[in-house]
Amino acid sequence: MPNPAFTVEDFCKDPTFIRWVLTPTDESNRFWQTFMADHPHKVPDIQLAIEYIKTIQFSETDPSPADLAQLKQRIWNDIENPVHPPYRRTEFRPDSPVRKTAWYQRPYWVAAAAIVLILSLGIGWWAYNSTTGLTYQTAYGKIQEIKLADGSLVTLNANSSLKVADNMGDRAIREVWLRGEAYFDIAKRKGSKFIVHTPEAQVEVLGTEFNVNTRREQTNVVLHEGKVQLSTENQSSLVMKPGDMAIVSPKNQQIQLKRVQPELYDAWKKSYLILDGKSLPEIIASLEDTFGVTIKLADGKLAEKTLTGKLRTEVAEDCIDNLAIILDAEVIKTGDTYLFE
Amino acid sequence: MNSPLTPAEHTLLWNDFRNGSQAAFSQLYELFSADLYRYGYNLIRNRQLVEDGLHELFLHLHEKRHRLGPTDNIRFYLYRALRRRLLDTVTRLNKLDSDDYLFNQAEFLIKPYEQTLVEEQLIEQQKLLVIAQLNKLPKRQKEILYLIYMKGLTYQQAAEIMEITIKSVYNTVNVALTTLRAHVRTSFDQGGALWSLTIGLLIYFTKILLG
Repeated sequence: MPNPAFTVEDFCKDPTFIRWVLTPTDESNRFWQTFMADHPHKVPDIQLAIEYIKTIQFSETDPSPADLAQLKQRIWNDIENPVHPPYRRTEFRPDSPVRKTAWYQRPYWVAAAAIVLILSLGIGWWAYNSTTGLTYQTAYGKIQEIKLADGSLVTLNANSSLKVADNMGDRAIREVWLRGEAYFDIAKRKGSKFIVHTPEAQVEVLGTEFNVNTRREQTNVVLHEGKVQLSTENQSSLVMKPGDMAIVSPKNQQIQLKRVQPELYDAWKKSYLILDGKSLPEIIASLEDTFGVTIKLADGKLAEKTLTGKLRTEVAEDCIDNLAIILDAEVIKTGDTYLFE
Repeated sequence: MNSPLTPAEHTLLWNDFRNGSQAAFSQLYELFSADLYRYGYNLIRNRQLVEDGLHELFLHLHEKRHRLGPTDNIRFYLYRALRRRLLDTVTRLNKLDSDDYLFNQAEFLIKPYEQTLVEEQLIEQQKLLVIAQLNKLPKRQKEILYLIYMKGLTYQQAAEIMEITIKSVYNTVNVALTTLRAHVRTSFDQGGALWSLTIGLLIYFTKILLG
């Protein structure tokens, strides 16, 4: 029975207290309100105890209503048309249907089944950790939309690759490995994390949409909506809010946060580049990454120009010509190198 | 999330079912299948196996309904039954594995709960730290915490479900509370926190009273 000598921990251990916090009823509300009125000095302890209990809540995965309905159908069908002989045992032990017992009780089958199992587990593990997980690769100038098994949508930018762990749909932790740039729209799954690994960092999704760019030996994450947690070898995790851009430096893997307009960073999905607020070297870097070309400026003063507007990036030649027009410069092409002067 | 039935209602529904009411059986499925699924999925992390387990469990219940014992907490009764069933499944699958916690695929992950009561900025980082600490506990211990602090089962019931002594349950609860004390108190006691807690608590009660 709760008494005024209770500490925070005592409250947390008290069954009536736990039940009140989890499922308050009129009766328990009355009881604890009276208790607090009688012992006002205990109120802070009670508040802290509530806080403790509310911290110990776990993620769960909900079944889809369709799956449950289907399962119900299966159960009700089996009840109406029994195919199995009556269960023999009365206590709660799984009684395997007859066909199962028939094969797995034979010793040689146990041996054979064990071998098959080890092999498939082994292959599964290997696939997950090495290269046989599905890998998507885009060519220069191409963008690919990928729908993952768990319902998440990934738009992979040009010259990028994404490796996806097998059976994404069933994993407790969904993982992908990215080189290049991609936009992620993550399907919400209760209790199932989504992690994007890049060479410099890992991004753990706590829900939703963001852009990751690992080009030029730095990882760059822009969060569109929701919440992600970013961590590197050298810096413990950091939680990002929408509109944050995190830049992970290649040398010491420190994370630098700045506020940006996310739209400026994911326009590549629709095959254009927004020029506002970006320096010319930044714009050139992104065109080089997209088309696999080299762009050089003959005149250093060009780099100081401020540009506004959008640039279509569907066709490399057109895009570069248009940029030249905006810059009021001439373009000389030699092989894959464009010189602006 | 927690079952809204009182112990008396549990007893009533269970008895109706044991007496052969098809409607009661249907109600059992509607009320508990999703909840059982969530627990089962945390234990075994495989949709197919959980569904098969539930399928066998409900068939078995239906078949044996006249011979089942009484209960005033159906969730407890079904959790225990499902866990045993799944334990048998994994035992069959892991014949060669010597790990003493057979649910080696289990994941009980503490989630950051949506903090609307207390000022968000204060808790954000600290909260993640506490959660990380709690998540480091062994799976078996987290399962105990899950049953007690999330599903509202008693120490005795948790011990029976997991087939361990009630003393291990107490011990685990103590470990968890020590972790919380070490990492939470310092942060919550920082300036102004108690004020917001007080306001939070007021809102909490108002919500309860308003239903």
